[in-house]
Amino acid sequence: MQFEGIMNQTQSVQQAASKQAWEPKIVAFLCNWCSYAGADLAGVSRIQYPCNVRVIRVPCSGRINPAFLLRALQNGADAVLVSGCHPGDCHYISGNLVARRKFALLKALLQYVGIEPERVQFTWVSASEGGRFAAIIEKVVEQVRKLGPNGRLAKRL
Amino acid sequence: MTEKRISHTDLPRLLARLRERGAVHAPLEDETGDAVLTELSSDDLISLRYRNFRLSPKSFLLPQNQVLFRFQDGKEEEPALPDREMVVFGVRPCDAKAMQALDKVFLDGDQNDPYYARAREKTVVIALACTRPLSSCFCTSVGGGPGDGAGADVLALELDADLLLRALTPGGERLLSSVRDLLCDAAPSAVKEAEDRVRAAEEQIAPVKVDGSAQRLSNAYDSPLWASVSQKCLGCGTCSFLCPTCHCFDITDEVRGGTGRRVRTWDCCAYPLFTLHGSGHNPRPTPKERWRQRIMHKFRYAIENFGRPFCVGCGRCIRSCPVGMDIRTVLKEIGV
Amino acid sequence: MTASHEIENRLRATAEKLLREKKVDLFLGYEKASLPFRTTPLLLTAAEEAGRLVWNSFCTVNLAVYLPRLFKAPADAREAKSATPPPKVGIVLKGCDARSVVALIQERQVPRENLVLVGIGCPGVVDAQKAEKTLGEHEALGAGEDAQGSIRAVVEDGTEITLYRQEVLADACLECRSPMPAICDLVLGGPVEAKETDAARRRAAEFESKPPDARWARFQEMISKCIRCNACRQACPMCYCKECLLDQTRPRLIGAGTDISDVTIYHLVRALHTAGRCTECGACVRACPMGIDTRLLTRKLSLEAEDLYGYRAGQSADAIPLLSAFAMDDPQDFLTEPSHLPAASSSAQEAEQARRAK
Repeated sequence: MQFEGIMNQTQSVQQAASKQAWEPKIVAFLCNWCSYAGADLAGVSRIQYPCNVRVIRVPCSGRINPAFLLRALQNGADAVLVSGCHPGDCHYISGNLVARRKFALLKALLQYVGIEPERVQFTWVSASEGGRFAAIIEKVVEQVRKLGPNGRLAKRL
Repeated sequence: MTEKRISHTDLPRLLARLRERGAVHAPLEDETGDAVLTELSSDDLISLRYRNFRLSPKSFLLPQNQVLFRFQDGKEEEPALPDREMVVFGVRPCDAKAMQALDKVFLDGDQNDPYYARAREKTVVIALACTRPLSSCFCTSVGGGPGDGAGADVLALELDADLLLRALTPGGERLLSSVRDLLCDAAPSAVKEAEDRVRAAEEQIAPVKVDGSAQRLSNAYDSPLWASVSQKCLGCGTCSFLCPTCHCFDITDEVRGGTGRRVRTWDCCAYPLFTLHGSGHNPRPTPKERWRQRIMHKFRYAIENFGRPFCVGCGRCIRSCPVGMDIRTVLKEIGV
Repeated sequence: MTASHEIENRLRATAEKLLREKKVDLFLGYEKASLPFRTTPLLLTAAEEAGRLVWNSFCTVNLAVYLPRLFKAPADAREAKSATPPPKVGIVLKGCDARSVVALIQERQVPRENLVLVGIGCPGVVDAQKAEKTLGEHEALGAGEDAQGSIRAVVEDGTEITLYRQEVLADACLECRSPMPAICDLVLGGPVEAKETDAARRRAAEFESKPPDARWARFQEMISKCIRCNACRQACPMCYCKECLLDQTRPRLIGAGTDISDVTIYHLVRALHTAGRCTECGACVRACPMGIDTRLLTRKLSLEAEDLYGYRAGQSADAIPLLSAFAMDDPQDFLTEPSHLPAASSSAQEAEQARRAK
């Protein structure tokens, strides 16, 4: 009985949400040592930035398998953002440098098959760049808002 | 049962009439020139020049991807079972016979598969007898033949200008009588000619020794030859996926939050992970065990359980194997 | 160029000698298959059977695919106790196959010292499906090659039909840039020079010249035929993972069925996981039962690896694999916002080099 009640509540919240205008959903993979800390700094400094971002913390940008980014898009993200330490500053020395190659190839391939390049974005944000992080989020959200919802890779269950 | 006749030029009218009752799937050429069973819309030109289709028609009864039910926020919903009749025209006798084999797995006894049963009930099969077998065909060695109608509702036989139609089941009779105004009776001479062509095709098919396979395979279980006959296998799954009698499946849930669906998909015993246990143990760890299982299933267990081999000699596995493995050679080498 | 039957004789003599002198325990080659336009792999152990080996334009399979399973490390200490020492393996290699072996050596999947690499300069191999298609209504009952390399097929009524080589060569061969094996212990034929060295680039550019919507539509149309049989992955020598990421269930990344979204991600991920490792051998295309041109994706990634990092798969056994290596000045113009900080310190690079030197 209780379960049904909760389910009914969830349904009505979702129905209400769907009546609102579409807002881009960005999934951001942030490396723990630099970018996540940078995002945290933005928060602590009360720098406002759009709330369209869902953050996933990873130990290093090098941990990211391109399959994760594609899965996020499949599950309904309108875009993914990956952020790591600046080259030369990786907490694990070279994780971001190896990742840089993976990301370049991923971006080239997605563009090649006709997926909008703005749906998969990469950047370097250090732990002290709270303001820059916020600015990047603003920029990405606006780019994706112009693109519209992700239709190409999304999976309809 | 008298055979009916329709000219090739009138065949499209017959198919158009059948489309009024439900979906009709017939051979259309795709952009690479291959014949594919496709749902007919208005003026599609069918082509009867093919030997056989790449994919077997088992997909009509056991689709590669089948949603068993959906769920959202605690509520379950079963997809509507098909209620439209579906006519599949141009199925080769081997593939029609394979449907009979699948019936034994999915329909017999107390294990009726409702999804399969409904699809089978709603599907009317018009088989097209073969006049030009491929060198990879061996239907005659596994209880079939180029003019065998088993598993079909209607058997069509090709002549130069006409197609002869022979009803084999009450469903087939109903279908032919629904279009009786488009058909005439076939002359006995035409029937004889059509049957002669089928007989000529039968003679072209090289025999493969399969008799007594069940006993011989039972004796050969521990043969050291299994390792050598199977060592080329890549475990790619092509043979099983294209085979009209292979039916192993996997069931997985695809879930996102509170929404999801349970899906049945094809699986293949040649995959290394097919028998991988949750503990990490795999009772069939190498191609040797997996190939032994494949051959045993088709040529021994099926005979012991269902009275017939689970192979209809269509030859798809032979033509499509990327490393050229030939099931006929394997049977010979293992001593069947 | 040496005629193929002469190479065949040399190959048989070589294999016979290697096996007889016990320089190898196993010799991987090709033998006649039951259908025309094809050969089938032969895992030869008996020197006296070396006559079964053949060499011709139907020797299509990339034999490197069998190597990882021959050198599987024991799973645990118990298995290690009873494990036999790894075999010594001789293997026949075309240009692309040899590069696959080199890539496997780079990734420590096969020990170089256990391999005898018998290279043959390859003028291209026949795609059986293409050959069968050119015969139209006829079925070839036998096929062969003459001294000039023309393909002759005998069809069901006894007529002999000559097939135009360019029409039936595999797509991968029409774009081949490395017909000669990069690394081998002996070379039995050649030299063969690559003909159209920019064919791959032209094809990629041709696809890229379409607008994005058209590219997406063409890509989706092509893979909509996919039945998720995984043949492309199993035939690929570089896909040797014991459990493919896309088969894992905890967590499950993509569905197992033919939902177009799952099919799309399967192909994109497979292409990405073979980036910088794929040697364009075409085994994936050949294995696909539905005729999907998976090389649409791998071709692009191979070109990107070359353009961005100057790297080609399987050129040198000592090279660090593409995605294990890096350079401080790797291109990063794909970033949303390149940083404004001064050039990164070289200490990271030095530390990495010192680590590798150990």
